[in-house]
Amino acid sequence: MAQTLARREMRLETSGTTTTAAVRAQEAIGAGISIREVVKRYGAFVAADRISLDIEPGEFITLLGPSGSGKTTLLNLLAGFQSLDGGQILVDGKPIQHVPVHRRGFGMVFQSYALFPNMTVAQNVGFPMRMARIDRETTDRRVAETLEMMRLSDHAAKLPAQMSGGQQQRVAIARAIVMRPRVVLMDEPLSALDRRLRESIQIELRELHQAIGSTILFVTHDQSEALTMSDRIAVMDAGHIVQIARPAEIYRRPQSRFVAGFVGESNLIDAQVLGRNGCVLTLRTPGGHVFEAESRHGVSGDSATVLIRPERIAIHAAPAPGTLPATVTSALFLGEVLRIEVMLDDGQRLLIRCPDIAGRELPELGAQVHVGWGAADSWVLS
Amino acid sequence: MSDATLAAPRTPLAQRLKSPALLLVPAVLFLAVIYLLPLIDLFRVSMSGPTWSTHFERVFSVPLYWESLVRTMKIAFTVACLCVLLGYPTALLIHRTRGIIQILIATAVILPYFIAILIRTYAWMVLLGRNGPINKLLQMLGLIDTPLALLFNRGSVLLGMTAVLLPLMVLSIYASVARLDGSLTRAALASGAGPLAVFWRVLLPLTLPGIGAGFLLVFVAALGFFITPTLLGGPGDQMFAMHITQQADSITGEGFLQALAVVLLVITLVVVGVAGRIMGFEFIWGGGKLGDGKPKPVATAARVQAPRRGLGMVLADLLGWPLLRLMGRLPAGWGRWTVRIMGGAVIVALVVPIIVVMVISFSKASYLTFPPPAWSLRWYEKFFSDSNWMNAFRNSLLIALLSATISVSLGATAAMGIVRSNIRYKSALMLLLVSPMIVPPVVLGLSLYALFLKLGLVGTYLGLAAAHAIGGIPIVVVIVAASLQAVDQRLEQGAAVHGASPLTVFRTVTLPAIAPGLAAAVFFAFLHSFDELVLSLFLSSPRMKTLPLMLWADINYQLNPVLAVVSTLEVLLVVGGIILARPVLTRGKPA
Repeated sequence: MAQTLARREMRLETSGTTTTAAVRAQEAIGAGISIREVVKRYGAFVAADRISLDIEPGEFITLLGPSGSGKTTLLNLLAGFQSLDGGQILVDGKPIQHVPVHRRGFGMVFQSYALFPNMTVAQNVGFPMRMARIDRETTDRRVAETLEMMRLSDHAAKLPAQMSGGQQQRVAIARAIVMRPRVVLMDEPLSALDRRLRESIQIELRELHQAIGSTILFVTHDQSEALTMSDRIAVMDAGHIVQIARPAEIYRRPQSRFVAGFVGESNLIDAQVLGRNGCVLTLRTPGGHVFEAESRHGVSGDSATVLIRPERIAIHAAPAPGTLPATVTSALFLGEVLRIEVMLDDGQRLLIRCPDIAGRELPELGAQVHVGWGAADSWVLS
Repeated sequence: MSDATLAAPRTPLAQRLKSPALLLVPAVLFLAVIYLLPLIDLFRVSMSGPTWSTHFERVFSVPLYWESLVRTMKIAFTVACLCVLLGYPTALLIHRTRGIIQILIATAVILPYFIAILIRTYAWMVLLGRNGPINKLLQMLGLIDTPLALLFNRGSVLLGMTAVLLPLMVLSIYASVARLDGSLTRAALASGAGPLAVFWRVLLPLTLPGIGAGFLLVFVAALGFFITPTLLGGPGDQMFAMHITQQADSITGEGFLQALAVVLLVITLVVVGVAGRIMGFEFIWGGGKLGDGKPKPVATAARVQAPRRGLGMVLADLLGWPLLRLMGRLPAGWGRWTVRIMGGAVIVALVVPIIVVMVISFSKASYLTFPPPAWSLRWYEKFFSDSNWMNAFRNSLLIALLSATISVSLGATAAMGIVRSNIRYKSALMLLLVSPMIVPPVVLGLSLYALFLKLGLVGTYLGLAAAHAIGGIPIVVVIVAASLQAVDQRLEQGAAVHGASPLTVFRTVTLPAIAPGLAAAVFFAFLHSFDELVLSLFLSSPRMKTLPLMLWADINYQLNPVLAVVSTLEVLLVVGGIILARPVLTRGKPA
């Protein structure tokens, strides 16, 4: 008898949390996530090596890295599909590692969409509401709202197999946000779509994020996707977060060769520091060319790697102060930009992208040109 | 390639002679003569009474037959239900385990599938016998004083048939479970569905086709079952197929016997036909849809599905879900343990009989008892020195080799024709090629008997080999068609573009790609003939006995350990075949 009572109390408690969850869904506030020293091993392979990361409530954060860098592992740990081998994950200050997947109350979008093929679009989107035992009326209303938001209202009665890839992914997103969860996890959700569709859904996702206010954790290996959508990007490599910063910061001031190479195209020049004048270093390439770069680090005698983004290099027909002579080795017209490769006389190759503006012609192969950049256009990797 | 060959206009006839559809001709002709015609003749004879329905009226008015028909349906239905209940956890268990454990469990299911039904039934007789291990164990534990009569009742029939047919069910369900996208379960979990809800809302609905296919295959096989109920059943457990053989022994009159067979055949065909209309006839061979030229528009498929899905969901919500929610109060991990315990029990039930038989073959006792009082090889000596057994063994070997040759040469070419041609009625032809799988062997045996009498083929090597090939061809067609469909046609096109003639393309690209499938087809066609009993019962002569026939006679008259020796050798043959084929089979499979 006492047991039955205790059980009944437990049920009451459970239904209590369901109500609060529903109320919270109305308010739609993202949760803060704190990942502390998280470790995950597969045999001898360390997929996540003491990763720490603090995510602000309502932030759109992207985990960016090549395959095998541990980004999906981190997402799966957060979702609860895998268990931690060490460390802690806190959501709104509470540890969640012992909460089973289905009680975490997150939304999730999968690379393969993972729509239930036996349910219609409306049933798929309503699935989390049903599982939370929310009444039929609220469910129907919320599903309709969400479908409207994703511009899917006309497709409510269709089966997933009857829709295009882009539509299916919008259904998957609708299912992930229908509960207005505090956290939405996205595992390379756009990688199966073609480029044009990907770009339009990127913008949609960004707007959606602003509308619902959930914390979004987005995993991708596509750097332009990460740059477009994120509040912050965490670049991952070999089970570590190697840099975390806002997109512009990541692009303009990468902390390492890896980040510079992985995000955007880059020219890297190895050089020796000759001297410092305030914020400006004077450097010399092994071939003897001298140029300037801004940096707070580095003293005379150090060797340094200098990053110059291709669009920061200017190309001139005639020599000017601070320019270096070069030979054109490749020239391609890409539409909005020209992509030109040149070789300095010391053998250093440089990639240049310049906008297709009036009066600019594609240089001939083998033509002698002069290239240059300002001290502020370069970045010394620490 | 010269200009001349490019420019030469081809006559329509020459083109038609090159059509891959012609590859279907030998197999279709063979089956038409030796399989379709006798069945048609069976119908004719069954209606040869004073009026066409005389014999049928007798079938349905004599309580002996009528009650046996109802009993057969009941037993088949129960067995199919038991197989679903026990097979699902086992399939899940295979799916959820990894590495060496998965291989062991899968082997424990697949191995019995390839061992002759006769031998597996015999193993159950040993296990359940008065001096069998179960009675011995119970006595040792002091639970009983005198041995229980575990054999020759309805329980032993159900147990034996379920055990014999379970692998079929497990494989059918496993195929649909393994095909599921793993992220679907994850998506359901992430959407807040607990393990039970994941099972009820996602796993079960999506694997329903596999369950349905397995259920029907088991039900249809059980309908025509003959060996197991004969050996394990008592007087009250007569199944319909048994009447046909008993009547065949004491010729009661032309026509009535055929009517019995026709009734069994028609029931089988109706069940398969209705099921095929609903879920597609592909369930028979467990394959995907064949491209029949015109793809079904998705919209129509959905329109057909929509109302049923609605009803199913309502039922699931009203009945199943509240029940499952009650179960949800059980402690966490309960579901996982259910799967492990039920699956584990099934594995034990499949493997233990075989092991017991292998142990008994080394017994010194001259009767069946377990554990053996002493060890010896005397039964092996007896088997290898007895000229009757050796003759039967040689006969079986010869017939199986001949039959495998017929099956593979006809079946493999037919598979080529099915996969590579673009003719109409392709599905119908495929259905014809695989249909011997579902025709009760008793019916087939009876219909062939008349033909073989006319042609003087009764008791001949060629006759038996050809009869066994009727069942061998479907096996070959299914395996080879599947491996042909897996061949990337762009590879063949690539070879052709670079100057390979069609024959060279086949030799250098296609053949190596389907070689593993072909090897498997040879092995299974051989095994099918080597194990075949029911057709042989009808078609052999006293002078020419096969190994299964000798076994059958011995099991019925004197249950001795020589049978255990033969069973052990058969198990070794299957294990050896699988081990030999393994490198070839795994090479063809993507990881």
